[in-house]
Amino acid sequence: MDALLASAGPLPTKKQNYKGKQSSTYNKKSGPTSHQTIPRADGSSIDPSLHSILSSTRIPAGFHQSNLASGSGSAPIKPDSSISRIQDKKLRSKLARQDVTHKQAKSDRQDVNEWLNKAISGDKGGIEVDEELGEKTWRVKQSEISDSVGVGSKGKKFDLKFEGMGSYKVDYTRNGRYLAIASSKGHVATFDWQAGKLHSEIQLKESIRDIKFLHSQDFYAVAQKKYVFIYDQNGVELHKLKQHIDPTHMEFLPYHYLLATVGHAGYLKYHDTSTGVMLTQIPSHLGSPHSMAQNPHSAIIHLGHANGTMTLWSPNMTTPHVKLLAHRGPVNGIAVDPSETSAGRYVATSGMDGVVKIWDGRMWGKEVRSWHVRNQVTTLGYSGMGMLSVGGKSGVTVYRDLHSGNIQHTPTPYLTLPLPSLTASSVKFCPFDDLLCVGHEKGISSLLVPGSGEPNFDSNEADLYETYSRKRERDVRGLLEKIKPELITLDTDFLGHINESRGGETFEERNSRSYRQLGRLERLRVDGKADEPQNQLEDEDEEGEGEGGEGETTQKEKVKRKMKGKGGSTSRYLRKKQKKNIVDNSLLAMKAKVAAQKKAEDTRRKIAKGEIVKETGALARFG
Amino acid sequence: MISRSLDDHMPSSSTSPHPLQRNLAPHLHPFQKPREYARALTAVKMDRMFAKPFVDALGGHQDGVYCLGKDSRRVGVVAGGGGDGEVIVHSLTLRRPLLKIPHAHKGMVGGICWTSESHDGQRGMITAGKLDGTIKIWRSEAFAPGIRDKELFQGSEFASGSGSAGHQQHLDQAGAIGENGLDMDVDFDEEEEGGGLNLDFAKRDKLGESLEPKMVYTNKNGLNGIDHHRTDSVFATASNTVQIWDENRSAALSNLQFGSSLETVNKVKFNQSETSVLASVGNDRTMCLYDIRTGKAERRIVMQFVSNDISWCPTLPTTMLLASEDHNLYTFDIRNLNSPSQIYKGHVGGVMGCDWSPTGEEFVSGSYDRTVRLWNRESGKSRDVYHTKRMQRVFDVTYTPTADFVLSASDDGNVRIWKSNASKKLGVVSSKERQAIEHRQKLVERYSAEKGVRSIKDRRHVPQSIHNATKLKRDMIESRKVKEDRRREHSRKGREKPKAERKKAVIVEQK
Repeated sequence: MDALLASAGPLPTKKQNYKGKQSSTYNKKSGPTSHQTIPRADGSSIDPSLHSILSSTRIPAGFHQSNLASGSGSAPIKPDSSISRIQDKKLRSKLARQDVTHKQAKSDRQDVNEWLNKAISGDKGGIEVDEELGEKTWRVKQSEISDSVGVGSKGKKFDLKFEGMGSYKVDYTRNGRYLAIASSKGHVATFDWQAGKLHSEIQLKESIRDIKFLHSQDFYAVAQKKYVFIYDQNGVELHKLKQHIDPTHMEFLPYHYLLATVGHAGYLKYHDTSTGVMLTQIPSHLGSPHSMAQNPHSAIIHLGHANGTMTLWSPNMTTPHVKLLAHRGPVNGIAVDPSETSAGRYVATSGMDGVVKIWDGRMWGKEVRSWHVRNQVTTLGYSGMGMLSVGGKSGVTVYRDLHSGNIQHTPTPYLTLPLPSLTASSVKFCPFDDLLCVGHEKGISSLLVPGSGEPNFDSNEADLYETYSRKRERDVRGLLEKIKPELITLDTDFLGHINESRGGETFEERNSRSYRQLGRLERLRVDGKADEPQNQLEDEDEEGEGEGGEGETTQKEKVKRKMKGKGGSTSRYLRKKQKKNIVDNSLLAMKAKVAAQKKAEDTRRKIAKGEIVKETGALARFG
Repeated sequence: MISRSLDDHMPSSSTSPHPLQRNLAPHLHPFQKPREYARALTAVKMDRMFAKPFVDALGGHQDGVYCLGKDSRRVGVVAGGGGDGEVIVHSLTLRRPLLKIPHAHKGMVGGICWTSESHDGQRGMITAGKLDGTIKIWRSEAFAPGIRDKELFQGSEFASGSGSAGHQQHLDQAGAIGENGLDMDVDFDEEEEGGGLNLDFAKRDKLGESLEPKMVYTNKNGLNGIDHHRTDSVFATASNTVQIWDENRSAALSNLQFGSSLETVNKVKFNQSETSVLASVGNDRTMCLYDIRTGKAERRIVMQFVSNDISWCPTLPTTMLLASEDHNLYTFDIRNLNSPSQIYKGHVGGVMGCDWSPTGEEFVSGSYDRTVRLWNRESGKSRDVYHTKRMQRVFDVTYTPTADFVLSASDDGNVRIWKSNASKKLGVVSSKERQAIEHRQKLVERYSAEKGVRSIKDRRHVPQSIHNATKLKRDMIESRKVKEDRRREHSRKGREKPKAERKKAVIVEQK
């Protein structure tokens, strides 16, 4: 028995009194035990067997993340501060552990990615010229580029000429392998542009306003004159979406399987393409929109309207998340930056007023950068590396490094791609390649833009060399991992965080809980016996400064100021006048007036109280 | 310019796998959390979809089964003691009785345990009669099917096995017989006399009837529980005192009792680490600790309600589990017997049996409310609840030594085999599949606080009666607490202090 106790050692010292009491009784009964305490200088002692039985083990801190080569470890990872506010001890430790593991995994992932994919030169790629000699990158012509690149890349520059078919819209699949084009006069084609293999080509003989691939190259949606139609890769019409009337723009949210369209009536409609059910339709109340774009990182739809506003939508709200006046004319181009540094934060808009603006999604108050362009802008596009292409009359201009340098100045273009006597109706950068596809009145042009594409793709996300079996696998997995539309939020980091407001309890619910249902700490707080540690109090103070605390004090002052007679304009006037030691008539008159008012008020109060009886007879008029 | 070579991205041959390129940068993996959440939701749904915990019912008992005896070192064998004195040794792998001893005792069997010989084939079974007060040691070749190496049994008292070299392939130390053995046992059935893998039920029954105990001890009082020392040939029984017996002596070595208490002792269990320490629970609402070396009762606690069963944690030597009549289970750290370290609530009937899993992280309990519940040591709510229409009051439960299964013995005369993890796949799992399963488990764990996942994960259908009883119990407790609150409100301040739930369980600790 004692041996068992001895081998186990005493309990961890959770309760001081317990330890003192019990250990003495043990010793009294059994004499010295097999474990011994180590005395320390300050009079206390350490019991080495204190943690002889642990329910879980962990790696000593010294082994965490230490860099064996340099011998220096990075700073230890600490759990999120919000976790420390959890009161349940077991839950807190569990979540803290989880959080640390997560952060650890994240940093490990970063390291691995650096090893895998970081360019050896550390350069972003692109054209380099001798600036000192006055060379400019924007003077470099397409012919010069195609002369200097390899044979494989040279073949990527091509033009497809279709005379008299109207202006073309283009769309790439997510892996950039397939291209869909649609002319305003009804010509539709999809093809594997690398292999030069045509999949479908149809002549619809009615006006087409937009074309979009769905989750894979097998299906594409076409916004036709009256409705939206879905075709398969052979050009066979599969569905006619009758609810989408008069569509002008479309976007497909690949992870949610939602096709968002907007038509002349200004209704934003979400259609679930996996179930075939219309999810919701939201009136924008702003008329026929001029442009539409999606944020690939948050699935928020951006609409540009005729009155110069841009609105941000999700299917969960009938009002826009954000509504901002972006331009002094219709907003005709919107693009969201998907690159690594931005990750959906930066948005570019262009208006009929000839201005291009860059916005920061974290603060919509003022644009980050804006500049005028001479040709009338019609469309915008962002590349995987954050290059912005501005398409308009007689050509496309490409900008890079928009967030560095002097942001007050008009940025110097990176490349100019002239299209003489043509207007770009749609510009799309090819994902994972250095290409820009421009749709215009005479077909499409695939142009070389060095350094625009993300060089390292991820096979599990968008495989450039996808085989048939892997595509099948992806289709099934994609459907299994379909994200619910309710999870579309402006703040993408919302899910999986600790709810600060006590697990979704409303204020009423929290307040209506009976005393019995309160936790121990809450009860103590109610009783006024809470013995809260100093830092917690500080925390609360800090919080208070953020929201309630300061407001309360100002409120107190306000109440004070609102006391009768103090804040009135007359008395303030008098107070000011009295400060100067001058007697003037106006002041005297005012004083008399105030005194009379006071007297009248006084009598009125006394009458109300019944202290004096009001004269009611004929003499009453004399006071 | 980006220029990719097909050689890097296409499989080198027709059979080689498709080469993968990874870029782990977060901007290429948008919606990471929502997608993970969707996956977690699918995972938890799959988990519930595949939750089929019931494996089989082992029948054969004429009366209810009131005690189980597992051989903690063998996977495939368990003995069940019936209300009519019948003892049946079941094979879990064959799912049929290996041996039936119809009149092992007169009246109910109080407890069953196994001796501690190091060799599987030599281990005997000890049964205790609840009414006739006898303890019997049984030894038979039938207890160890498949172990038929002649040399092994030479010198032992039942060296009658007529196995030949050809049967060596069926030698199975764990007592588990695979498909192979099942197919072939018919063939050599004829050669055998008595024990072995006989499928001939008549022969088996005859053997059971004619089997004589190797040793019989008699006691004045009926025996409610029995447990064997882990290594020595010593066992303890529970009657009105705790008695220590040696296998080779006919009289008890010693009587252990706390003070002069002569109340009935319900169950007795040896500690698995400090093997001479012993704990018992008694009808006088006590739990008592003994040491057989000193032969003294060391310490005792009196609780509010009587405990029906006791179990020592196999990995945390100071932790013990009590199954109480007040519907709860309690774990105690014996270094601090003032209050339990955790209360486990969930049953709506007295808890009749409990057993730790071999890892000591989980345990199982069986209750009078006709359910079996599985628990994590760390949390006070049950992880899972098992029930079937035909299962009656559960009187004993055990974990199998591999922790894969849970056995329950119930009133209806069946020993049921349940999976310890309801949705676990039985059989061979490829490493790829295992990885996927582990990934799913982790996802569910990560998002288990989220409402959508949690509601699927925690939702259990229970029979109407239990559902109603749970509600009723909740209401009763709530109203009792409200009343207590009101009383406190109207009494003088500080007169009636609320008492922590954990402090309520133990009335007094005696030394």
